[in-house]
Amino acid sequence: MSSSPPWGERVAGYAVRRVLTGVGTMVFVLVFNFFLFRLLPGDPISLYTRGRNMDREQLRELRRELNRPVGEQFLAYLANPFSSGVDSTQFSRPVWDVIGDYVWPTLVLLVTATALSAAIGIAIGIKGGWRRGSTFDRTSTGVTLTLYAMPEFWLGMVLLILFSTGVWVFPGVFPSGGTLTPGIEPWSLEGILDQAWHLALPALTLTLAYLAEYALVMRSSLVDETRQDYLVTARAKGLMDKLVRRRHAVPNALLPTITLVFLNIGFVVSGAITVETVFSWPGLGLLSYQAIRGPDIPLLQAIFLLFSLAVVVANIVADVVVAAVDPRVRT
Amino acid sequence: MPGPALAVAAALTLSLLPLTAGVAAAGGAEGERTTFTVGMSQDVDSLNPFTGIVSSAYEMYQLNYDTLTDYGQADFAAEPSLAESWEVSEDGLTWTYTIRSGVLWSDGEPLTARDVAYTFNRVMSGKYEQTNFGSYVGQIASVEATDDQTVVMKVKAPSPTMLHLFVYILPEHIWSDIDAKEVTDFTNEPGPEGIVGSGPFVVKEHKKGQFIRLERNENYWGKKPAIQELVFRIFNNEDSLAQALRRGEIDFADDLGSNVFESLDGAEGVTTFPATYSGFDEIAFNVGAALDDGTPIGDGHPALLDQRVRVAISHAIDTEALVERVLGGHGTPGTSIIPPLYEDLHYDPGASTYAFDPQEAARLLDEAGYTEGPDGVRTMPAGGEDAGRKLSFRLLGRSSSQTSQQSVQFVAGWLEDIGIEVKPKIVSEDALTEIIGEGTFDMFEWGWVVEPDPDYQLSTFTCANRSYKDGGSVFANLSDSFFCDEEYDALYAQQKEQIEPAERAGTVKEMQRILYEQAPYVVTFYYDNLEAYRSDRFTGFTPQPEPDGSLLFQYGTHSYRSIRPVTAEERDDVKSGKAKDGNATSSGLVTTAAVVGGGLLAGGLVLLALRRRRPEQDVE
Repeated sequence: MSSSPPWGERVAGYAVRRVLTGVGTMVFVLVFNFFLFRLLPGDPISLYTRGRNMDREQLRELRRELNRPVGEQFLAYLANPFSSGVDSTQFSRPVWDVIGDYVWPTLVLLVTATALSAAIGIAIGIKGGWRRGSTFDRTSTGVTLTLYAMPEFWLGMVLLILFSTGVWVFPGVFPSGGTLTPGIEPWSLEGILDQAWHLALPALTLTLAYLAEYALVMRSSLVDETRQDYLVTARAKGLMDKLVRRRHAVPNALLPTITLVFLNIGFVVSGAITVETVFSWPGLGLLSYQAIRGPDIPLLQAIFLLFSLAVVVANIVADVVVAAVDPRVRT
Repeated sequence: MPGPALAVAAALTLSLLPLTAGVAAAGGAEGERTTFTVGMSQDVDSLNPFTGIVSSAYEMYQLNYDTLTDYGQADFAAEPSLAESWEVSEDGLTWTYTIRSGVLWSDGEPLTARDVAYTFNRVMSGKYEQTNFGSYVGQIASVEATDDQTVVMKVKAPSPTMLHLFVYILPEHIWSDIDAKEVTDFTNEPGPEGIVGSGPFVVKEHKKGQFIRLERNENYWGKKPAIQELVFRIFNNEDSLAQALRRGEIDFADDLGSNVFESLDGAEGVTTFPATYSGFDEIAFNVGAALDDGTPIGDGHPALLDQRVRVAISHAIDTEALVERVLGGHGTPGTSIIPPLYEDLHYDPGASTYAFDPQEAARLLDEAGYTEGPDGVRTMPAGGEDAGRKLSFRLLGRSSSQTSQQSVQFVAGWLEDIGIEVKPKIVSEDALTEIIGEGTFDMFEWGWVVEPDPDYQLSTFTCANRSYKDGGSVFANLSDSFFCDEEYDALYAQQKEQIEPAERAGTVKEMQRILYEQAPYVVTFYYDNLEAYRSDRFTGFTPQPEPDGSLLFQYGTHSYRSIRPVTAEERDDVKSGKAKDGNATSSGLVTTAAVVGGGLLAGGLVLLALRRRRPEQDVE
């Protein structure tokens, strides 16, 4: 590494700058998020209270929030977007309590699918890219491209019919939805295994849908690296092919894929919405789907905010990780 | 807090798959107690009966709590529940209910008339408590428990709803701890004992977005149900719901779409049941938007103020075609606003039904002076204020409903055939609510589900239920056609005080006759509730009403108390169905075989890959 200032300090400096830009983005999102939902037409209060015995006083109370001047509403919104004071119209409970019930399943699905698709995708990409044109390369590129082209919803449905209902030679062994069989204690060994069993299909769907991208990017960046002079040097030193690949080519080719993994978190979230719908997975995707059917504006607003925050944070992490690994990015 | 457990689960997924399969199979075979599982598409929004709105929540309340009286299974007639008998005074102003003796709450405390009085007084005095139940207590002046077995209610005027008070009786010893302020945030989620109630089942577990599990109430005063455990599983996708029924993961599916319903036809062990239902869809007209005080609002088309135009349109809509092509045949053409399911209350126009007849429609319009202009579109009659204005109507449909959008398309086509221009527009339900409230529409497509007591449905056509103004803005009320008729309003007030069912039915039919003649709605169809269940596992469903009403999600818990598992002999009678236990074992075997096979295959592939890798090292 070069002389001044030391590596750690420069990465930290870059990280601080990056976080500041992230905060800027979040401020923009906050403002946008507020006006987006004010632009929706409709009278959700009348819809939700249709057929309920409420007097004008109570309806006025419910509408008070929506009827305040926009400026005033905006200030209140800015003051505490994460406050627990706002109730979801649908659940009549504070929005963050409602979200709290649904956040864990999404997180588990997201982390499992991201880890699996990145690991498998990168492995396929390395093998294919290193031996470009081989049978494995041609087959894997074909298969991954096919998977990449499939909509998650459809892929999920196909897997559900094959492995849950079971047709022809396919065994219908997986449950059709949910995270747990009713009546089983979630903390027991049986409960944990049961939850893993429920996780298998949704996680597989997301993994198949996303590994293609990692495989393809990894493959092409490795192909680029194989033409570099330093690999010729490495080989000239007498290194075995396997070592050239592992020690020199792969670490350099890995950078774009790392960025992609983090950048993709946003897309995985949107993929999760459809997959959660197919498998009745009780996560944020399902919750936002329910919130739109109202629409339950306070809940939608909070979910949007949470999703945006997740994407912004993932981007910052991606940038900082890449900077830490690749000296060219830090300046 | 399923989080950490789920996280561990994720880590274990890959490594332990074979083992899991074994456990899962073993879990399936364990079942000593009888569990009946229902798949539904809507989670319960709140288990607090004062808070919940959605129909799935009401199903839980009626399973967990009792009411004084019930709607009968065969024909909706009032029948005893917690009240074993009742008496009404000569003047109809005092009702005396005798509460069953020896009834225990699910926690073992005795249930007395005091709990009943407590619940009613709470609803009558609490503003929040009234949002869900106020319509039942409006006419009640006082409720008093004179002893442990007797409740006396005084009413302001004679009322037929006193035998249909759908107020869930709550245990005072639990709810007296929840004051008027706390009740608004109270979730009533079950503790280890479950939700304390007196109904046939007790809610034991609610996993949000996933399932609600109930167990049989061992203290129940009536005949014990044959099923010990009742599970409601939530599916957010109709196709997965159908797959779960095919697999036998669930035993019952309700409210299916016609495509999914037909796909289940002939599935092994599954019986499909198109139940007649109390819901209808309509094309509504803006017959003169105004506030409840009569101030005109909105911008409805003047032609629709003319009853003759609305009748002509009724003749132009082919309700039979809608049933065939929109509902896939699962429904009946509509006429009046109380569905024929309520035999005693439904008005059948008989010979005066507006038959589908475009020529008659055109003739009526010609006769009324709405003649066709040069471009083939009819115009307002000459001489009037709006003379020459085209008959061009905005027709709104709902984005959340396929049925609504298809109906709108068909109706638009039929109206164009008789020289009326239609501008269809599809909007969300809450946007439509606002548009209706402000009266800025000509026609729209929507629907209602009608309760056994007709009062609420009839009230949607009263003058008082038109939109209202509050703080400078106009808001929707129950009326969505702005119908307002003196004679109708007088009859509405009259039926509210008729205790004698036959007498009241006469009034209710007369009201429907007025509506049919005035045609603020064209009731397009009464749709079926499409249900399917595992007939190889359960039997004993009782439809409400007889003979082909809904099997579950009824008024009352009739079916849940009569469902029982199919016996071995009965099962043999069903030719198509294999024995269920055999199925379970074989699927367990298949599981194990598949997982072992998959493992071997994967191992083989890895070996193959390793073998092929070796020569690579020597390439250079």
